[in-house]
Amino acid sequence: MSNIISAQNLTLSYERDEEIIKNVSFFVKKGDFVFITGPSGSGKSTLLKSFYGNIKPQSGNLLIGGLDMNRIKKNKLQELRSHLGIVFQDYKLINEWTVERNVVLPLWIAGYSNEIQKTQAKRLLHHVKLTGKEQKYPLELSGGEQQRVGVARALAKNPFLILADEPTGNLDEYSSNVIWDLLENACQQLDTTVVVVTHKIPSVFNIPYRHFTINEHGAIYEVH
Amino acid sequence: MKFIKQHISLIFPMVAILLGLEFFIAFDRTTKGYENSLRDNYSMLIVAKEDMSIDDFKSWDKHVSKVAEIEKSTIIDKVDSSFKASKSSTIHQKIPNFYSIKLDKYLNATELEKVKQNFLKSDKIKRVETFDTLHNSNYALFSSIKLAFRTFTIFMTIIGFFLILKQMEVWNFLHSERMKVMDIFGASLFLRSRSLIVMAFIDAIISAILASGIFYIIQNIWIRGNHIAILEDNIDEVFKFHDVFTLSFESIGIVMIAVFLVVINIKEE
Repeated sequence: MSNIISAQNLTLSYERDEEIIKNVSFFVKKGDFVFITGPSGSGKSTLLKSFYGNIKPQSGNLLIGGLDMNRIKKNKLQELRSHLGIVFQDYKLINEWTVERNVVLPLWIAGYSNEIQKTQAKRLLHHVKLTGKEQKYPLELSGGEQQRVGVARALAKNPFLILADEPTGNLDEYSSNVIWDLLENACQQLDTTVVVVTHKIPSVFNIPYRHFTINEHGAIYEVH
Repeated sequence: MKFIKQHISLIFPMVAILLGLEFFIAFDRTTKGYENSLRDNYSMLIVAKEDMSIDDFKSWDKHVSKVAEIEKSTIIDKVDSSFKASKSSTIHQKIPNFYSIKLDKYLNATELEKVKQNFLKSDKIKRVETFDTLHNSNYALFSSIKLAFRTFTIFMTIIGFFLILKQMEVWNFLHSERMKVMDIFGASLFLRSRSLIVMAFIDAIISAILASGIFYIIQNIWIRGNHIAILEDNIDEVFKFHDVFTLSFESIGIVMIAVFLVVINIKEE
């Protein structure tokens, strides 16, 4: 199986700040479900940001879908991002757009027809149990519902890699379960690679998974 | 209300800038005719030792446009009409040649002095009279009006530009979140800024139409109603139909620079 993420001696830091992730190496294969845990401030989110090119490696190599994140050009990065599904803890929905429009954002960017966008929006909102809320605005929804919109958006274009940063943080049990089910299904049925940064791995998880943990010194270990 | 406020905040300074620019254009156009009449009514007098042609004068100074020889008999008659014919004939042979020179543009006192000195370099020229006192008072009045208008225009443009910069900061705040999200999902720069471009484009067109409308009213109601001679004589020069396009291009150009500045200032999270 091919590597979707390949990190070798990877070091990450923000400009002029001290190193957050130090000299780590790991591989994530196609179809893997990976949890990354660690204490607050250990660099979990920073590592995830480096996967979608929001932060460049300070040293070492990082390949995402075969693309070298050290040398990636702006247009290639845009192309890579259009094939990723990203879920944020703070949802990052566009508040002045309807739920339907938010869900199909990746399809709109890719230039899909309105008809396809509408069909996909209907299907995805059904999956995240938000049928009938197509024309609502994000701020009219609860936190759990907003996050489900965020997950639907991440799944809209059948991405090869889903990156989720604390997707169930502060959510009610029902919304959390819906989100875990969706991510499990994407991994199991579509062979999508899923990387989730979280404080706590759900107690009931129905598919095999890998578990990396980052310690306070920025080192990464595979514990499961 | 918020939507209208957002648009007004851009349209208002944009109209101010466009009015300034159109004032500049219209003033330049309407005063061109007045400047030409000042130029046409002005001539300098040259006293030459021998017969001269226009080419001679042009070879000494490039501003010469027309030369007219003043008949000696006219001058003799003006000096004293009681001269006897025989005496007059002698004087006719002795007195130098007089020429009236017209220039190609309306020059200031320094430039006139330069023209005078150019002529006096030739030993064929005895004397040059520029009548610069009258000329200077006309020129000073004209220049001061022009300067006042230009200062006003520049002032309006600067104020307008600062207001647009302020509005850009608001745009930056309003649109940055959406553009950052779109960037994360791989949208191109054009897609990210499309709604901003459309909004700015519409505002630019509205501003151009408003500025054109104001000038149309100035031309057809205010000037005609107030009988301002210099403007009434050149009323068609105040506002021309093609000014709508000029203002639209200027307006679109300014807002697109504003959009570009907003877009490049939005940083990734």
